[in-house]
Amino acid sequence: MSTIAPARGSEAPKPPAARRRKGQSRQSRAAWILALPFLSLFTVFTAWPVISSLYMSLTDIKSRDLRSPFAVTFVGFDNYARVFGDETFRKSVLNTFYFALVGVPLTLGIALAAAIALDKGITRFRTLFRVGYYTPVVTSIVAVAVVWRFLLQPDIGLVNTVLGWVGINGPDWLQNTTWSMPSLIVMASWRNFGTAMIIFLAGLQSVPVMLHEAASIDGASAWQRFRHITLPMLRPTMLFVSVTTGIGYLQVFEEPFVMTQGGPLDSTLTISMYTYKQFSFGNYGFAASMGYVLFVIIVALTAVQFRFFRSNT
Amino acid sequence: MKRNIRITAVVALALTTSMGLAACGRSADTGAKATDTAATVSSGKATGTITVWAMGAEGDNLPKLTKDFEAANPGVTVEVTAVPWDSAHDKFKTAITAGKTPDAAMVGTTWMGEFAQALDPTPATIDKTTFFEGAQKTTEVAGTSYGVPWYVETRLVYYRKDLAEKAGITTLPTDWAGLKAMAKAMQDKAGAKWGINLQAGGQGSWQTILPFAWSNGAEVATADQKKFTFDTPETAEAVKYYQSYFTDGISLPKAAAEGSTEPNFVNGSVPMFISGPWMMGAVEKVGGADFKDKYGVMQMPKQKTATSFVGGSDLVVFKTSKNRDSAWKLVQWLSDPATQVKWYGLSTDLPSVKSAWQDPALTADEKLAVFGKQLEDAKAPPAIATWEEVASAFDSEMEKVTKSGLDPAAALKAVQVKADSIGTGS
Amino acid sequence: MHSKRSTSSQILLYAVLTIGFILVVTPFVWMILGSFKSEGELRQLPPTWWPQTGTLDNYRDLFDKAKFLTYFFNSTLVAVIVTTGNVIFCSMVGYALAKLDFGGKKLVFGLVMGTLLLPGMVTFVPLFVLVANMGLVDSYPGLILPFLVTPFGVFLMRQFILQLPDDLLDAGRIDGASELRIFRQIILPLCGPALGTLGILTFLSSWNSFLWPLVVAQTQDYYTLPVALALFSTGQNETDYGLLLAGATVVVMPIVIVFLILQRRFIEGIASTGIK
Repeated sequence: MSTIAPARGSEAPKPPAARRRKGQSRQSRAAWILALPFLSLFTVFTAWPVISSLYMSLTDIKSRDLRSPFAVTFVGFDNYARVFGDETFRKSVLNTFYFALVGVPLTLGIALAAAIALDKGITRFRTLFRVGYYTPVVTSIVAVAVVWRFLLQPDIGLVNTVLGWVGINGPDWLQNTTWSMPSLIVMASWRNFGTAMIIFLAGLQSVPVMLHEAASIDGASAWQRFRHITLPMLRPTMLFVSVTTGIGYLQVFEEPFVMTQGGPLDSTLTISMYTYKQFSFGNYGFAASMGYVLFVIIVALTAVQFRFFRSNT
Repeated sequence: MKRNIRITAVVALALTTSMGLAACGRSADTGAKATDTAATVSSGKATGTITVWAMGAEGDNLPKLTKDFEAANPGVTVEVTAVPWDSAHDKFKTAITAGKTPDAAMVGTTWMGEFAQALDPTPATIDKTTFFEGAQKTTEVAGTSYGVPWYVETRLVYYRKDLAEKAGITTLPTDWAGLKAMAKAMQDKAGAKWGINLQAGGQGSWQTILPFAWSNGAEVATADQKKFTFDTPETAEAVKYYQSYFTDGISLPKAAAEGSTEPNFVNGSVPMFISGPWMMGAVEKVGGADFKDKYGVMQMPKQKTATSFVGGSDLVVFKTSKNRDSAWKLVQWLSDPATQVKWYGLSTDLPSVKSAWQDPALTADEKLAVFGKQLEDAKAPPAIATWEEVASAFDSEMEKVTKSGLDPAAALKAVQVKADSIGTGS
Repeated sequence: MHSKRSTSSQILLYAVLTIGFILVVTPFVWMILGSFKSEGELRQLPPTWWPQTGTLDNYRDLFDKAKFLTYFFNSTLVAVIVTTGNVIFCSMVGYALAKLDFGGKKLVFGLVMGTLLLPGMVTFVPLFVLVANMGLVDSYPGLILPFLVTPFGVFLMRQFILQLPDDLLDAGRIDGASELRIFRQIILPLCGPALGTLGILTFLSSWNSFLWPLVVAQTQDYYTLPVALALFSTGQNETDYGLLLAGATVVVMPIVIVFLILQRRFIEGIASTGIK
């Protein structure tokens, strides 16, 4: 047994290429064994349905046809063209973008603020606050909906009552085409910031305290320290949270489904809701293509976020 | 990461090009055939196991009833699986798609058109005339009946008796003008904020709006169920009437906040609404023990007819059932007037069989009697496979009519265009 | 040693946080309180806070439904197996993707990421048709197998393991350990926090899963808690709110308990999932 560590590419008893080949095939074998359960389950339960749904998106298949799936007409990219031509779909895309582009920063902003407050601001009751701020994530959507619907009621709702104290006549939030989406965005942010907050907390805890101390000795204010130490070190965390929240918000379904059913006048109809509707009508080919369009949108926006959070290094 | 995505995309693209070869094109013969003939059901006892799916409270209560059936047919077991109402449509659709359906099931009346191709036609041994006509029609797709109505519900106008008195209403309105005048009077003289709670478009509003169209002689589709007929002057007239409640400020202008119909009714801020029999229990729960006498129900006002909406659930047997014969026997048994009355006792679901209404259990309640009377003139939309999608388009346009003041004729034209492009699936 | 902070700004901070706390916890508390109210009280507007008609009826109804224990058992069984499966299989392939060199590695990772970004709705029906054709409908395998390993879990484990120093692996290789032994004896023990994180998230998602169990179960014997809840409380035309809230409270309790117990490990775990 040699005690010389075989650092890669360094001198070795065997020619480097052969050693690498042998090492690689050893690793290869192990890798395939380790990956086997995943790959077999994936091939059966994911790959096949994906192929199947891709196929559906290229035909005019309806739910009635699924017993004889090959007796349908191949329509190529017709479904996709129809999707883009569909006025309601275009509206749902705008709604979804509005939701995600405002919702993600809002959610992350609240989460970051809460995380910083819990990390550095206070010393007691941390666990209590941590758990409390996480409860919206685990509370049943039914309870959430009942409470929020009450909050947003025009006459007796809490929000309008409080606004009334300062002389503002609040609108009928959920029934107003201008305010319905912002209301849902606030509600979704309220519901989801807990997860992001916990991730930020962990990220913050690994920012070395010494850096902060050194900076404050040099006279940096709290804000300056935040901007120049904390934020940059949090960048990878921000990326992870931004991407996962973005993916979730682009697929937003529950909040509009439970609170407004996409109304009023389709002002809160999201892509996922519209796709779900099409599936329930049985228009499987059309709905499948809509799903893939959403997929492409998600991929594109995720790629943008990767670029955004990398560029300023 | 981008490179990996590109690789995946290339793989996907390669797959899609090869898929073009897979789709072989449709044959000329599709859809539920009008020539589906019903096989007969044998006489004698039911045997084996019958699997039944039923939703919600019915699913809970049905096993209590089927014990009697099992006693009368020794050797048969009825297995009831309760399914949540909210997602039952999805569950049925998916089950039909995968061929994993039960022997029999309870199915919402508006789903019949979609599911027909998976259902067994009703055998001739079951007498269709025993059911309310409107309810029976819900089972008919392209002329063939695919099941029987199990229980029904219909919609009446609920009103506060005491507030109507205050508003000076001495006789109940019997026509469109009268209904509107009553609602207005509630606002002017009885202190109501809104005279009546009418659904302002949106999901399911067709159930409140179409009865007015039907009362005006309009139909939603041609008799052969091949074409939709939304764009007619009679329908436009009815929608205009409906819209006037909103333009004149008589109806609650937007969707009632969930669960607020009952409190508003009880506290008098919106003392009228149109709904079904379940609301009796709901308003009494909120109003308390003596609220029963403070409100009443009345029939839909008459234009050419006084037609209301009939809903409820139908009982069906699936084509793929392995115990078809016994399943139909169960269905037959459930349609027996005596069983229907017993079911009413267990569930408060209204019987679909006309003669069951003679039973003292049903004649005793005066409000119930009004429901019974309305059932004689109640319609449902035709059991067309694409109904849900077309109804959704209708609801959207009606939302614009009631909330943005869109011209009814223009709205109906838009609905007609959409309905034509969706088609009837036949 | 933290920097000087005035007492008044501390108080202000606590005040703001407490207001925030009230805002977030209110629906949760309302949900619990509501489970003790009668139906009539629940339908009142404005809603009441403390139960005026304190009643245990909702819970009685809930547990009386003869099969409640069955549903609880089903949910637990499925959630535990799915969680265990993910913890094991995701770490296996996560390690392979992070540290091993093999042909097709990029492709496999691409497939994982692609699946992660794909909306689940799209493959739902084909997946069910497949499971039905395999004869797995109305069975535990049907409930479990499609979710035994998820792309999210693979991604998480890969990120974490990427961080572990290569030297450990090399040391193991010199000592002649097989790759699999390295995985089992060197890598896995170091993955505690990540496995804890993965465990909680997977458990949460499986416990709350609704649509799939609804569709896979043909008889009530295979219903899970969320399905049973929807069954009890939503009618064709109206909802039994009391029962719904009682059910929601019961369903959320295990999650809260699991979270409380593991939250320290959870946070440690997130800190080190290679998101830096």
